Amino acid sequence: MTEVEKKCIFAQTVDTAPDGRKDRSSASLKAQQAGESGWAWSIVTVSLCTGIAMLTYPAFELVDVAMIYLLGVVITASRTTKWPALLTAFLSVAAFDFFFVPPRLTFAVAQTRHIVTFAVMFFVTLATSRLTLRIRQQAEESQLKEQRTAALYDLSRELVRERDMDKLKAIAEQHIGKLFDSNVVVLLPDLHGRPMPPAREFPWSEQEREAAQYVFDNRQPAGSNALTGPDAVALYLPLIASAGTIGVVGLRQKSKRKLEPEQLRYLEAFINQTGIAIERALMAEESRRASVKAETEGLRNTLLSSISHDLRTPLTAVTGAVSTLLDADARLDRQGRRELLETIQEESDRLNRVIKNVLAMTRLESGVLMLQKEWQSLEEIVGVVLNRLGERLNDHPVTLNLPASLPLIPFDGLLLEQVFMNLFENAIKYTPRGTPLELSASEQLFTVTVEFADKGPGIPPGQEERIFEKFVRGGTAGGGVGLGLAICRAIITAHGGRIWAENRPGGGALFRFTLSSAGVPPLPEREE
Amino acid sequence: MRRFLRITLQSHGYRLIEASTAQEGLLQAASRNPDVVLLDLGLPDMDGLEVTSRLREWAQTPIIVISAREQEQDKVKALDAGADDYLTKPFSANELLARIRVALRHSIRGRSGRPEPIFVFDTLRVDLSQRQVFLNNNEVHLTPLEYKLLMVLIRHAGKVITHRQLLTEVWGPAHAKEVQYLRVYMTQLRHKLEADPARPRFLINEPGIGYRLKYDPDERASIK
Repeated sequence: MTEVEKKCIFAQTVDTAPDGRKDRSSASLKAQQAGESGWAWSIVTVSLCTGIAMLTYPAFELVDVAMIYLLGVVITASRTTKWPALLTAFLSVAAFDFFFVPPRLTFAVAQTRHIVTFAVMFFVTLATSRLTLRIRQQAEESQLKEQRTAALYDLSRELVRERDMDKLKAIAEQHIGKLFDSNVVVLLPDLHGRPMPPAREFPWSEQEREAAQYVFDNRQPAGSNALTGPDAVALYLPLIASAGTIGVVGLRQKSKRKLEPEQLRYLEAFINQTGIAIERALMAEESRRASVKAETEGLRNTLLSSISHDLRTPLTAVTGAVSTLLDADARLDRQGRRELLETIQEESDRLNRVIKNVLAMTRLESGVLMLQKEWQSLEEIVGVVLNRLGERLNDHPVTLNLPASLPLIPFDGLLLEQVFMNLFENAIKYTPRGTPLELSASEQLFTVTVEFADKGPGIPPGQEERIFEKFVRGGTAGGGVGLGLAICRAIITAHGGRIWAENRPGGGALFRFTLSSAGVPPLPEREE
Repeated sequence: MRRFLRITLQSHGYRLIEASTAQEGLLQAASRNPDVVLLDLGLPDMDGLEVTSRLREWAQTPIIVISAREQEQDKVKALDAGADDYLTKPFSANELLARIRVALRHSIRGRSGRPEPIFVFDTLRVDLSQRQVFLNNNEVHLTPLEYKLLMVLIRHAGKVITHRQLLTEVWGPAHAKEVQYLRVYMTQLRHKLEADPARPRFLINEPGIGYRLKYDPDERASIK
C-alpha cells in the first residue's frame, strides 16, 4: 500500500496541470483503484486461465496447463503489486490442483509426484512475479528520477532568470508548494536575525515563529515531521547558502501524511537551489548598496571642501559691510551706507541660494526614494519660479510656450521647481543682460519634452556633458558651487527622465529634458 | 531672529510679547491674549503641530507659522491643524508685515462675522451677492465648481490654504487627496482670470503646501 501511495505523490509531483489540487485527487483515486483492482486482477486472471485450460485440457497435458497459469502470474505481476501477485501464484496452484490434478474437483492429490509439481510451480510463479515486479519498479524509479530532475531544472531555470528578491521568493514558494502539495513560505531574516513573519497567507503563531527562529539559529529542521527543534504546525527547514543560513523555508502540507526520508532529500535539493538564488540576489543588492554608499561619501567630502569656500565668500562680504557700518557709521554718507546695505542684501541672497542647492543635493543624495510625486502642472510650476525670481529676471525677457493641452505630470513639485530655478539662475549668471530666454514644452507619446534656450555665449564645445557633473562650473562668471546642473540631472534622472544640453545653431545654449507623463490621474467629471 | 522681529515689528508700531519655549508661549498667549501669534516650528520643547492644536483648543487668535524651507510636511500639518499662514525663512520684513496685516484683517472680520459683498483685486471684481465675476468690467463665466473654488479662496483671501482644506471644502472630504483636481481647476481659473496664466498675479501656487489668493489689505487700499 505504501508503495502505491508513494508512487502517487511523485507521479503528481511532475504533473504540470495548472490546478494542483484537482490533479492530486485524480491521482489518489487512481492509486486506490490500482490497489483494489490488483486483487480483482489476480482473481480474474486465475479464473480466465482456468477457463482456457478447461477448454484445452483434454487435448493438452498437465504441464501445458501449468504453463497457462504461469503466463497468468506473469501478466498479473506486470500489472499489480507484490501481494496480488503472490495471491495469483497461490490461487493458480490451488486451481490447478482443484480442477486438473486427478482426482479432479478436489484438493486431494492422487500421486505424490504432483506435490513436487505444485511446489516447483509455486516457486517458479513466485520467482517470476518478483522478477517482473522488480523490473517494473526499476523502470518506474528511473522515470521518477528523470521527472524529479526535470522539476528541479525547471525551478533553477526560473530562479536564474529572476533578480528581484520578492519574485525569487514567489517562484520558489510556488514550485515547492505545488510539488509537495503544501503551502510554502520563504522567510528571510530582518536586521536582528529574526525571521520576518510571512508576507503572504500562512498560518502564523508564536509557536511557528519559535520554530522558524530555532531553524535559523541552529541550521536544523524543526516543526512537524522534523526530528530536531521545537514542534510546530508546519515544517521548517534552513535555507543554507555559502555564507551560512540566509533564511528559513516553512512548509505546511495540505494532507496530514508524513514526508518520507526520500521526499525530504528531494525537498532539500529544491531548497538548496532556492538558497543559492536568494544568496545571489542578496549579494547583488549588497554590492549595489556599497557602491552607492561609496559614491555618496565621496560626494560628501568634495561637497564639504567646495562649499566652505562658496559659503565664506558672501559671508565675508556681509561681515565686512556690517562692521564698516557699525564702526564708521558717522563718517559714511547716505550713498555709501546704501551701497553697503545693498551689498549685504545681495550677498545674503547669494548665500541663501548656495545653501538651498546644497540642501537639495543632500536631500537627493540621502534618499532618492523620498520623492513625493504628485500630479503637477508645468505652467503652475513655471509660474512659481518666475514669481520667485521676480526682479532678477528684469534684464532677461522670457518667452513662454506652454500649450494648454499639456498633461499633468507625476513629479515632485518642489524638485521640479528647483530644476527650473537652477536653469533660470544659470541663464541669469552666464548670459549677458538683455538677451532673451525661451521656455517651451511639448508632448509626444507620454513624454513631455521641455526646452530652455538662451542667447548667451553657449557652452564651450565638448563640455556639453561635463557641465552636468558635480562641482564643474561653466565659466569664471558668477561663482556658485557648480551644483546647479548636477542637481537638475539628479532630479530628472530620479524621475526617470533625461536632461542634456547643446548649442543652438544661431548662438546660445539649449537645455532639454524629458518627463514621463504616462498614467492618467483620476479627474473629476467635466462640468458644463 | 527674535531681535530682527522685535526691531522690525516695533518700528511699525506693533507691541511684542516674546517666549522662547512652547510652554512659555502658550502661557503668555493665554494670559496676555495677543492679536496674532508668530510660531517658529523649531521650538525646543514641542512640535509646532502640537502648539497649534493646543492653542486652537481655546483661542481663535491667528497663528502664523515660521519655518525653514525643508519642513513642508510640518507646515502642512500645522496649517491643517488650524494655523492661518506661514512664512519660510529667510523672509523679508515686507512679507512678514503683509502676512500680519492679512491675519489681523481676517480676525477682525471673523469677529464682525460678515463677509464683504464685493471683492475687488486690481482688475478682478467679484460680486458675491449676485455670484458674478468681472474682469476689466467684462463678466467672466465660471462653472459652478470654479466659482466654488474661487469663493473658498476669497473667503481666505491673502492666506495660504492647504490642498487638503481646498479639496475638502470644494469636493468634500472623500477627495481630500486628489491634488490633481486642484491642478486642473486652478489652471482653468487662471486661464479665465489671469492676463498671463504662467505669471499669475493673484492665483498663487505655494508648492507642496497649497494655494493663496494674493491680497494685501493695504495694497488694495492704495489701489482704490
